Amino acid sequence: MTSDDPQDFAAEARRFLDTHARKAPDRATVAWGEGDDSMAYFSSLPPEEEAEHVRRARAWQRVRHENGFGWITGPPEYGGRGLTPVHELLYASVESEYDVPDTGVLGVVGLGMIGPTILAHAQPHIKERWLPAMYRGDAIACQLFSEPGAGSDLASVATRAVREGEEWVLNGQKVWTSVAHHSQIGLALTRTNPDAPKHRGITAFLVPMDAPGVEVRPLRQMTGGTDFNEVFLTDVRIPDDHRLGEVDGGWTVALTTLMNERDTVGSEGAGPVAAALSPDHLSALMRATWTWDDRALRARLAELLVDAMATRYLNTRAQRTLRAGTAPGPERSVAKLMYGQNLTRAAHFVSECLGPRIIADTGRWGTYSWAELLLATPALRILGGTEEIMKNILAERVLGLPKEARA
Amino acid sequence: MITDDSGLKELRSSVREFMEAKSPEEAVRKLMESEPRFDPEVWAQASDQLRLPGLAIPEEYGGDGFGLVELGVVLEEMGRALFCAPFFSTVLLAAQALLASGDRDACARHLPGIAAGRTTATLAVAEDDGSWDPALITVRARSDGDGGWRLTGRKCFVIDGTTADLVLVVARTVAGPSLFAVDRSATGLSAEPLPTLDATRAMARLTFDAVPAVLVGTDGAGGRVMARVLDMASVGLAAEQAGGARRCLEMSAEYARTRHQFGRPIGSFQAVKHKCADMLVQVELAEAASREAALLAAEGSADFPVASAVAHAICSKAYMVAAMENIQVHGGIGFTWEHPAHLYFRRAKSSQLLFGGPAIYHERLLDRLGI
Repeated sequence: MTSDDPQDFAAEARRFLDTHARKAPDRATVAWGEGDDSMAYFSSLPPEEEAEHVRRARAWQRVRHENGFGWITGPPEYGGRGLTPVHELLYASVESEYDVPDTGVLGVVGLGMIGPTILAHAQPHIKERWLPAMYRGDAIACQLFSEPGAGSDLASVATRAVREGEEWVLNGQKVWTSVAHHSQIGLALTRTNPDAPKHRGITAFLVPMDAPGVEVRPLRQMTGGTDFNEVFLTDVRIPDDHRLGEVDGGWTVALTTLMNERDTVGSEGAGPVAAALSPDHLSALMRATWTWDDRALRARLAELLVDAMATRYLNTRAQRTLRAGTAPGPERSVAKLMYGQNLTRAAHFVSECLGPRIIADTGRWGTYSWAELLLATPALRILGGTEEIMKNILAERVLGLPKEARA
Repeated sequence: MITDDSGLKELRSSVREFMEAKSPEEAVRKLMESEPRFDPEVWAQASDQLRLPGLAIPEEYGGDGFGLVELGVVLEEMGRALFCAPFFSTVLLAAQALLASGDRDACARHLPGIAAGRTTATLAVAEDDGSWDPALITVRARSDGDGGWRLTGRKCFVIDGTTADLVLVVARTVAGPSLFAVDRSATGLSAEPLPTLDATRAMARLTFDAVPAVLVGTDGAGGRVMARVLDMASVGLAAEQAGGARRCLEMSAEYARTRHQFGRPIGSFQAVKHKCADMLVQVELAEAASREAALLAAEGSADFPVASAVAHAICSKAYMVAAMENIQVHGGIGFTWEHPAHLYFRRAKSSQLLFGGPAIYHERLLDRLGI
């Protein structure tokens, strides 16, 4: 039996999860010295393990889909459940109590951002072709937005698309493309009118990643791993029905994508990284490193926890607002900004508790492993919009300050 | 509890309207230099028309039975307007101490007058060093052998201490710190106003010379009462701070939009813009933390003491940042006596340190977390 009532829905989710998954172990208790001490924020798996990780993600998404939880807010004609964001939040909160495969490779960009964009802007047969496949876990999508010359200033994309009859020919280079190496489709922003003002000469296309001329080259980031890619587009031919939105109307499409950017960066950060902002874990670390009575470190810990917990309250309240049916204010942007800073400060705080044990691996549990998080933190103040751009947006959109003179 | 947003919105707009009418900047400036530091007529209106003093006092004691969520809304508005009135001392300190004592007779004796706005009250805890540590209480209470008590010693930083009708005092008996009630007119009690950094909040030194007092609650339970009052009052203070910080942000944003230099509004310069964005981040965190803590208090959550400590810390910092940067955004004009920026700066610093300041509240958070 299914019902839209939130309580019935949560109960249904629980029944589904009880059947298909195991309860997660209690994450609140800290067993110092036991278990996996990995502090990886980005994936650092060898290729064959990563392939297995992706396979498991796809398989779990399929199980969700078959049981009505694959696309909770999506319209039924494309395999969605037709419910509200509140139901989606509810499901996420119930699922977090269970030990299920991490589906970030599908969810963060594809299901969270590209799916809603296709739904809003694609032709019906394109929606039918891709949306059910994406939410069933068959198709992974990536975002072909940034370029070497268009980072914060995204509207200066230079990848060209030139019309030839019923087709478009794409040429250019994209960069920082997460999950491109696993993707079946990408959403590309291209320049179709170089003479128009930059926001008005952009067109968006869905690019099948197996089309001739699409080449994905992994980028190695400063952590040593390869989570994102460069994507080269050389004479890639795309049928006109793969265009999203109007010709030269791609900026509107891009805004849909960016507005659907989930607060994955601002949220608590599932998995091992949550330990970095956990009072219990940090206190256990201070005891293990004999620093618990260091007054300077205690003051820094308190300052860090104040910010981390206030950020958590901000997220809680944004969710409550959403549940009450009101549009949240700037809470999620602020939370994202704070999350990057909090995790950065946490990594440096921990490093100072550890001392030399984080600069050379002595083999001791829970020490050198923090280097992975430390090296990942600079990205958190850049990805999804740099801190500086986020501040411009807050000041201009929330406080109404005037824009700067822009080229 | 007023659970729906529209109820809280209504409360907020009626309090804001009242503050705009009764506590504009000119009124605040006038009261800052008057004795008493509040307008008894406006206090009577706040009590009679808006029933503010009784808002969070239980119905059995003549109040309206709401809690910290509703009080928080009122305090945000009061903080925004720098409202000069014995509200914090009476409602957040004294009434909370009475309720925390569990002494039903004392509550029945004093709370109805407080709820009706007839009685103003305060709580005297800190002494010359300003500490809220129960171990450092030196004022002595001696039994007079007749069921009564006599207090001797000195209290400092007592908010509205020269005007409060009822003074609750934490004094030491052989059983430890304990709570006592003292009447304003009791023999042997003298009050001397202190010059204050923040003139919108009056403070006094009280000297007790064998002053007759009534024990409130259990002999020796004063430490527990202080901890509870500190948790509740910190959240009230946090709401005031969040309201003041929001006002500083609004002043800065308004000025940055309209003040021109180099032929452009100064808010179009990224250095100024980012300063304002940093203030916004602080204000959003402050509001979220103080409102969430109030909600956890209303729900009786076990997480409340931690949330209270977080709210106190983040709101203290946010208000200080907002008040300082507000002056910076305004430049020279922000440093003048005529501009209200310094009034907020003074309130921000004085609120940050009222219960001991960062070193104390950081340790208090770690203590609440068991670290």
